[in-house]
Amino acid sequence: MYDVTRTERDVDQADTKISARNVQVYYGDTHAIKDVDVDIADKTVTSFIGPSGCGKSTFLRCINRMNDTIDICRVEGEIKLDGEDIHAPSVDPVQLRAKVGMVFQKPNPFPKSIYDNVAYGPKIHGMTRSKSELDEVVETALRGAGLWEEVKDRLDTPGTGLSGGQQQRLCIARAVATQPEVLLMDEPCSALDPIATALIEDLIDGLKQQFSVVIVTHSMQQAARISQKTAFFHLGNLVEYGDTDTIFTNPQDERTENYITGRTG
Amino acid sequence: MTDATLNTGGESPRSSLLTQDAHTKRRNRAETRFRAYGLAAILIGLFFLIVLAVSIIRSGTPAFTRTVVDVEFTLTQTQIDEAESQLFKTAAYSGYFIDALKRQLDERGMDVAFDEDAIERIVGKPGSTIREYYRASPDRAGTPVAFELAASSRVDGYFNGRVTRDTIQDSRFLMEADLDLVDALAEAGIIRSSINWTFITGADSGVDNPGAAGIGASVVGSFFMMLVVLALSLPIGVAASIYLEEFAPQNRFTDLIEVNISNLAAVPSIVFGILGLAVFIQFAHLPQSAPLVGGLVLTLMTLPTIIISTRASLRAVPPSIRDAALGVGASKMQSVFHHVLPLAMPGILTGTIIGLAQALGETAPLLLIGMVGFVARGYPDGLAAGFMDPNSAMPAQIYTWAARADASFYEKAWGGIIVLLVFLLTMNILAIILRRRFERRW
Repeated sequence: MYDVTRTERDVDQADTKISARNVQVYYGDTHAIKDVDVDIADKTVTSFIGPSGCGKSTFLRCINRMNDTIDICRVEGEIKLDGEDIHAPSVDPVQLRAKVGMVFQKPNPFPKSIYDNVAYGPKIHGMTRSKSELDEVVETALRGAGLWEEVKDRLDTPGTGLSGGQQQRLCIARAVATQPEVLLMDEPCSALDPIATALIEDLIDGLKQQFSVVIVTHSMQQAARISQKTAFFHLGNLVEYGDTDTIFTNPQDERTENYITGRTG
Repeated sequence: MTDATLNTGGESPRSSLLTQDAHTKRRNRAETRFRAYGLAAILIGLFFLIVLAVSIIRSGTPAFTRTVVDVEFTLTQTQIDEAESQLFKTAAYSGYFIDALKRQLDERGMDVAFDEDAIERIVGKPGSTIREYYRASPDRAGTPVAFELAASSRVDGYFNGRVTRDTIQDSRFLMEADLDLVDALAEAGIIRSSINWTFITGADSGVDNPGAAGIGASVVGSFFMMLVVLALSLPIGVAASIYLEEFAPQNRFTDLIEVNISNLAAVPSIVFGILGLAVFIQFAHLPQSAPLVGGLVLTLMTLPTIIISTRASLRAVPPSIRDAALGVGASKMQSVFHHVLPLAMPGILTGTIIGLAQALGETAPLLLIGMVGFVARGYPDGLAAGFMDPNSAMPAQIYTWAARADASFYEKAWGGIIVLLVFLLTMNILAIILRRRFERRW
């Protein structure tokens, strides 16, 4: 399914999955994202870091047009997924979101059974023909999220009954089940303890072999551990974007340096 | 620095945990007082509830019994023909009845003097009931028939304790001597109390015949009305709420609609009544007194309640659920119908049942569309048919009875209240069961 020989050195040569040009976001009169240009590579982990309110989550939500659901929010500029403009009039945001999955800050499983949680996406997209096929998809997704062994005997119990970390992995399984091309994660570990966080970080590392992962995080250590590319946002501007190693060891901008050394933020 | 902060307290000794200082004491006293107020409020409420329940049950139970006179007699075809040939036909039948009663008393060896007037005061005017019977089934002529005739409302009251020998001192409607006869008849087993099935199954009666009055017809009427209200207001209300809450853009127009819905919920129900009269009866020419029209009027009244509570419960569904659904590529409608609506369902049901309960007890709008003071003809054949046939509703029926002069109707009104409350309780229990089922689905 994926190319196991791919290594981190290939990142630079990887195809561009998402390219954003001159993206502006307004919340009413507030200019929340200012002129952001960014190229996100396929099959890599890209992290967005920056102080609270810098616009990193807002920008993340532009990529699958979740901002459409906010009445006062207005997005300008161009975002392309595989060269196709996601704001083109003929694009159905629902179809886009099937390709660009999302995991949220707070674990938000549906108040349904574990099975139904994972099966929901494949069901509404008509991805499976039979019950056994669906079972298979659910198992694969749960295995992919490292949750299978823990829940295989209680698939019909409510997803909300799991622990916080398990719930978040369930949400990842739910997102993975629709076989997205990009997975957006909005601070997926901020509500979790260190052990659950470590599990999810391992998971992300595995997921990048199937698709590109874009993760917003408050933890610079986390960004350094899991991502190959890092973007630093500050007051709505994309200040610096590059290889994670470079950003953390040799930042070009003073603001980046101040932030990663803990002087601001 | 630490020392300095410790010393700013001055010379006061360290307070002990074992004694409460003045401030704490005051605070605790305030809390104790508040708890006492709360408890008192609940006890007062409970007291009134008990008073209400006891008085309803005490005043209402007599409505479920009635006093009947058992007389068995045979009328031959000749007798019937003779009665039918007279000017006062029912009086002739009454005469037969009195003869039969006399015979029955003689057979038992009782020697009580009574006249026709006394019988009339005790049994009312039995002639018409007997005549009706033979007209309905002429083939019974010549065979013995056991009649169970309702006693007059005062005799009924005598059995229930409402009427005593003292209270009829000056009455022209029942003499003290009549009560001697009643006692004798009761002893002989001819006059007795029995369960009043007519009250539970029957329709309203004329003002001078409380013994034949029943709530059954109006229970059917209320039931049909509730069906109409439920079938219309739940889908319309929920659809309107979902659209307003989830899909409608936020602008002046939707703001205006919102304000209007809130205002509609506070509009007096009689206003809806006159609207129903103007629109449904005078304009649309729907039949008067029909449960369909009553249901339509009550739907108008119930809609705002349902919309407001449905919107509140939709709003109470965490936005993260909507995000989650949209995040996996569900459409707006899928996210609403698969996730938001099921979560809001218990709240919607609660709102609906409150709205229905309100509608069930509503009298004022029904007065205006003629669902009151109505005597059902041909019950039950004419009523079970349904929505377009003239009928009454429980609260309107109770209102009619309470307004009548005969004290026996007053009892019926209380009895009607009991039936209304039982109906309401059944509805609520049904709602609770439904809500449980919805909640248990996850």
